[in-house]
Amino acid sequence: MHQITKIAGYVAIILVVLSFNFFLPRVMPGDPFSFLTGDPSMDMPIVLDEEMRAELLAYYGLDKPLLQQFSDYMLNLLHGNLGWSIYFNAPVSNILIGRLKWTLLLVGTATAIYMVLGIVLGTISAWKRGGKRDVGLLTFILSISSLPSFFLGMLFIILFGIKLELFPIFGAQTPFMRYSTPFGATADIFRHLLLPAATLVIAHIGGVYLLMRNSMLNVVGEDYILTARAKGLAEWYILRKHAMKNALLPITTMIALRVGFMISGTIFVETVFAYPGVGILLYDAVTYRDYPLLQGAFLIITLAIIAANFVADIIYVRLDPRVKHE
Amino acid sequence: MNKIIAMLSIAILLCSAFSGMAIAKEDSGMADVTAASAGEKVVKISGDDWGYSTPFAHYPRGPGYIRMSFIFDTLTWKDKNGVIPWLADSWSSSYDAKTWTFYLHRGVKWSDGEPFTADDVKFTFDYTKEHPQKWYKAKEIDHVAVLDPYTVEIHLKESRPTFIEDVTGSVPIIPEHIWADITDPNKFRGDEAVTGTGPLKLVEYVPEQGYYEYGANTKCFKGKSLIDRFISMEVSDDALALETGDIDATSFWGKEIVAKEEFENNPNFEIITGPSFWVRKLYFNCEKYPTNNKTFRHALAYGIDRKKLVEQVMLGGARVANTGIIHPDSPWYKHGLPGYKYNTTKANEILDSLGFIDTDDNEVRNYPGGGDIEFTLFTNTKDEANFIHDNLEVIGIKTEVKVMSWKELDPILKNGEFYIAISGHGGIVQPRTLYTFYSYQNDEYDEIYKKQLRTMDEDVRKELVGELQTIIADDLPVYTLYHPLMWAVYNPDKLDTWFYTKGGVAVGIPIAQNKLIFLFDAWRYDADEDGIIDKSEVIDAIQDYFDGRITKGQAIEVVKLYFL
Repeated sequence: MHQITKIAGYVAIILVVLSFNFFLPRVMPGDPFSFLTGDPSMDMPIVLDEEMRAELLAYYGLDKPLLQQFSDYMLNLLHGNLGWSIYFNAPVSNILIGRLKWTLLLVGTATAIYMVLGIVLGTISAWKRGGKRDVGLLTFILSISSLPSFFLGMLFIILFGIKLELFPIFGAQTPFMRYSTPFGATADIFRHLLLPAATLVIAHIGGVYLLMRNSMLNVVGEDYILTARAKGLAEWYILRKHAMKNALLPITTMIALRVGFMISGTIFVETVFAYPGVGILLYDAVTYRDYPLLQGAFLIITLAIIAANFVADIIYVRLDPRVKHE
Repeated sequence: MNKIIAMLSIAILLCSAFSGMAIAKEDSGMADVTAASAGEKVVKISGDDWGYSTPFAHYPRGPGYIRMSFIFDTLTWKDKNGVIPWLADSWSSSYDAKTWTFYLHRGVKWSDGEPFTADDVKFTFDYTKEHPQKWYKAKEIDHVAVLDPYTVEIHLKESRPTFIEDVTGSVPIIPEHIWADITDPNKFRGDEAVTGTGPLKLVEYVPEQGYYEYGANTKCFKGKSLIDRFISMEVSDDALALETGDIDATSFWGKEIVAKEEFENNPNFEIITGPSFWVRKLYFNCEKYPTNNKTFRHALAYGIDRKKLVEQVMLGGARVANTGIIHPDSPWYKHGLPGYKYNTTKANEILDSLGFIDTDDNEVRNYPGGGDIEFTLFTNTKDEANFIHDNLEVIGIKTEVKVMSWKELDPILKNGEFYIAISGHGGIVQPRTLYTFYSYQNDEYDEIYKKQLRTMDEDVRKELVGELQTIIADDLPVYTLYHPLMWAVYNPDKLDTWFYTKGGVAVGIPIAQNKLIFLFDAWRYDADEDGIIDKSEVIDAIQDYFDGRITKGQAIEVVKLYFL
């Protein structure tokens, strides 16, 4: 019974979010064709007459009543069809996949690293609170983490890309290169990945580290730690089995909450390194009022967040069996 | 517990590793060597994704058209001096400019080997009527008649003296044998879709990296391209990428003059300057009091120091605008229009005479019936607006700057919900940009505008277009502020043929990427540009031949010009 209500809850959330994804972009000022009439960039003003507009609206099915558009959208979704992007003039799914693979690579790598580093360093800090190591770590991590990521990115580019010439300064791959083995290509991709991933790690590690440290500090003061020590258990054992397990609860929540942001929030890093990704795509989709693309991108983010919550729920039960019985 | 974290992070790491491997696998493959080897001449530029390079799929922006134009040709084209024959060797029109006859170049082949004929031209216009191209709808075409495989007659519904500049110079011709069966050209992709007659052909397109790779079209009727590969890709910072050699050419404009100046004393780079055919202007609402008063508009114009604006806000990367809108480098430009030289005394005098006097001593002028003269200054560029805000403050007009995105600004202008606003647009090389105003009604103006469209005689038409500019400069429905400058910075060792097209490429695209840069042109040896190839210039060509820079045939072309 409990499982069914839970699943029903997820379905309801997805439906509500889908409706929001559909209606919100349409409420914004401007329409998906206004980019045609000449954004004040270096361009010609094109005069879009009513007839042409009507043709375009009909072509993209935007002339139908809103409710019918909504039902069409839902039906297409059921068939796995995300529609055709108006600005990019390509299937939304192709555009999303093209970008998502890079975002996953970048964000996945960075998240794994900053999660583990943050947790480990936070634990080390809290265990010997006020010690030299704690103060040093705290000062160091907080100061590097507070640098804006675009600034840090530029710094990396100038230092490691231009002065030391260790890493490429833009893109995700060396353009115009054909490797004989996949290993060469993989190495190339990872060389391009390193600076942007490092930037993301530094930008995000502060939050995880601080939360872990605080949460650990709370746990260290608990009676059961004292009991464990009184039992004569080894320090390392107490740290792992008693303290860390309890201290990890808030981290799980934090990471689940961050998933959506991780997909869309890399826009600065993407811009600085000209790294292909979903962040800039979302920005463009909003700028050009590209309804189908906006819907598709938001859908992905929504699903990612819901999936992350689902996983967090499961992990929670393992971390804190009490949750299950409540 | 630790197991869970460890497993989770390993899972994520594996996920990303696989994603990386998968991408890598996709991209490696048949070709075993790095393509840049084998002594190929490769030229790389910076640029974003501008859509697939067909006339129906590219994004409707200048750079999108430019990339498409490398592959698809038009009947006529433009070089740095103006219109030149292209797919059509010559053309003529009936006395009423309703029937246009084109004599096509013989022996032109599509990149798949099929011959190009008059049928393709007819097909293009017929097909475009049904399926509009990104920039062209073929609405004015009545019908197209094929007289013989190399002669085609285009019949228009109404006379159109500007048919060459408006249409044939920008409408790409598509191959009938490929497009005839395509019902939705918008979604047509693949090698077939990019079969053209132009100097390049599309080899690879990766939208998410803005990556375009073009190879030489060996069947191009204008000869083989000077370079083997042309690449355009997204970079993080154009100036940095140019300096590190990741790209060989890029373009800057307006305030980016600062980036351009970095390359001025660098012997490895050359710089050319061009007009952007762009204008930033101050819009007045001509339907609302007090901006509907022409004299009042004049007062504001005298109160704005455009010269200082160009120096301080644009950092010198622009020129003070023609008050008649049309760019000074355009053949339609009207000389000697009033410039409203900055003069606060005059501005104050006019405002006093209108009865707008500061009666309550708060440094802001009042309406004759009381109340401060105060406007919201809508804009999408903060710096210019703040400058104008300060300028107007001096003459007792209070403004509140409101910065917003273009999306939000556009409807405000269209609906006339403003008194003054700043916005801008490009394309001011063509008279057709003279009709884009918000909230301005002038029957005489509209009459002249329509008349010039129908006028056959170019001199008469120029006069009419001049009259339009005179009316704008006097009536001031908009007060033009500046025209930004543009620069192409390039490494001449890679390619040194860059130039700015007269009147812009095709419809007036201001960038220096005309496909002519890929083609050999014997006239480039006319170093002193006197229209004659002299002895020393022939020697240059022969020297280049011995150095392996040009082929024997190309050297002979230069020699031929010498004997002409």
